[in-house]
Amino acid sequence: MEKNEDSLAVVPRDNQTDLAVVDVSKESAAQKKARFERDALQYTSQLYSAALRYTKNSHDAQDLVQDTYAKAFVAFHQFEPGTNLKAWLYRILTTTFINTYRKDQRRPQIAAGELEDWQIHDAASHTSDQGRSAEDEVLDNIPDGDVKTALAGIPEDFRMVVYLADVEGFSYKEIAEIVGVPPGTVMSRLHRGRKLLRESLGQYAKERGFNKSGDAK
Amino acid sequence: MNHITCPQVQENLILFIDHELASPLDYQIFEIHFQECPPCTQIMEVERAAISMMQELLRRSCMESAPQELNERIQEQINALSAQTQVEFFSQTTVTEITFGEGDSFQITHEVTQEYTQEFRNDTE
Repeated sequence: MEKNEDSLAVVPRDNQTDLAVVDVSKESAAQKKARFERDALQYTSQLYSAALRYTKNSHDAQDLVQDTYAKAFVAFHQFEPGTNLKAWLYRILTTTFINTYRKDQRRPQIAAGELEDWQIHDAASHTSDQGRSAEDEVLDNIPDGDVKTALAGIPEDFRMVVYLADVEGFSYKEIAEIVGVPPGTVMSRLHRGRKLLRESLGQYAKERGFNKSGDAK
Repeated sequence: MNHITCPQVQENLILFIDHELASPLDYQIFEIHFQECPPCTQIMEVERAAISMMQELLRRSCMESAPQELNERIQEQINALSAQTQVEFFSQTTVTEITFGEGDSFQITHEVTQEYTQEFRNDTE
């Protein structure tokens, strides 16, 4: 009897449950779930914040985020560990929004040509003659609610790109993948969106007569 | 060599500000231009300040916490999906038993092989 049973008993099971180095192809369902909960669930607030800006209401935003997580969980085996999970989740969120939530709404479509005729030069010349303007000082003190209202007022395609770039800090290339448009389109939408947002906020500031101390109303 | 004109700088200013220029060399070319051209530097700084202020404003205003109810819903859904996944496991156990005796002796050997196959049926796209 030369059986060496020790070798079976002594192997520490921890080796198999170290999720950081998990081999996805050999991962059990429980391990996959644990990895998903650990890695993906930390973004619920961020995704919810984005969903609120996309859908403009809490009810739809919650449904959208829940749908996103359901899809992400089911497709999690397709996610390549080590790549950008947040961008992957945003891509699902954004695609789900575009395909599902937006369908019911009649919205003005942006003509394809309209996006190509922009000039970055435009933005530079707009502000080049001033230093930090009084308008900037006023904008610093604008209440959160007005910023959200202004953002909600700009067309959806621009709004999404502005949000992804200026709030989340995604690169043009990442945004292109998240939204499903070429990087050049991202750039033009971002430029347009920023310009519209800036104009809108300037208008709010003027209407409400904010002063430097930030008194509202 | 490696010089760009003021219009070229201004046309691509956003790329410089957003850190989206193609290569480190492009940044050097821009920096060299800015060192030699106060008007372009002024335009760049004003634009960069405006964008950066907008970003701060947006980040400050848009950060929300997911409602507890949403977090619970997500967790419940994951649990439910996970339970479904378990059901979708295809498992099969094969037991083979071979019994044979050797010659006239009554020594009987049992050889039992047990195979357990588990396979994930991926019905998702």
